[in-house]
Amino acid sequence: MNNRLKVLRAERSWSQQDLADRLGVSRQSVNAIETGRYDPSLPLAFTIAEVFGLPIEAIFSRD
Amino acid sequence: MDTTGTRQTPAGRGPWFWAGLYVAASAAIVALKLTDTITAPVAMILFVGAMGLLIPLVRAGERRNCASPVMVRYNRRFLAACFGYVLGLGIAISLWNAYDLTGPVVFAIALLPTIPTFAMIWAMGRYLVEETDEYLRYRTVRAAIMSLGGVLTIGIFWGFLEMFELVPHVWAWWVLPVWAAGLGFAQLWMKVRGE
Repeated sequence: MNNRLKVLRAERSWSQQDLADRLGVSRQSVNAIETGRYDPSLPLAFTIAEVFGLPIEAIFSRD
Repeated sequence: MDTTGTRQTPAGRGPWFWAGLYVAASAAIVALKLTDTITAPVAMILFVGAMGLLIPLVRAGERRNCASPVMVRYNRRFLAACFGYVLGLGIAISLWNAYDLTGPVVFAIALLPTIPTFAMIWAMGRYLVEETDEYLRYRTVRAAIMSLGGVLTIGIFWGFLEMFELVPHVWAWWVLPVWAAGLGFAQLWMKVRGE
């Protein structure tokens, strides 16, 4: 699965730790999702979408 | 937090310092025991004392990795269980060597080191239940399954080698230390692979 986490984060000048704090997860989690090493669960994907104020499909897409 | 978004590590001795000190202390105790400079009960007491070095070791590790409250709780529980295990094992062996025990008393002394190992397993289980970060939980579960695969593989292979009298008998309680070592190796493996 592809995602635009890094771009969206850069647009807001957030570090990985900033995003992790907003999501209530570890920085390692953000890094793993961002680099495609881990696909988040549906609840976490919804939380990510809420934090960025975007629909899930605007952040995540199929390979 | 610095400009790159990484947290600053608080000052203090690093975990490797305390790990080195613990290994050196343990090696010194083993050397003293092997040369018959100290008796077994004294060695046990010194081992329990040396285990006190694990407290600053764990705390240094928590500082370095900015450990979550869940991980801190797990470390505390596991460390307490480790103290209980060394103490229980030492008392059980001392009683076994000093007296001619039989029946229910033997069962009771076998429980002394067993109950703390149950506490270790419980602490691991609680960590998985309490961990709210799904990625960290996934990593731990993955490492645990990899390690379980290793234990089953080694155990079955060893069992048949033992059945055909090619290797000596190994006590079944070894499954826990072997599994715990495998857990560490699996986590290291995932780290090396950048997972």
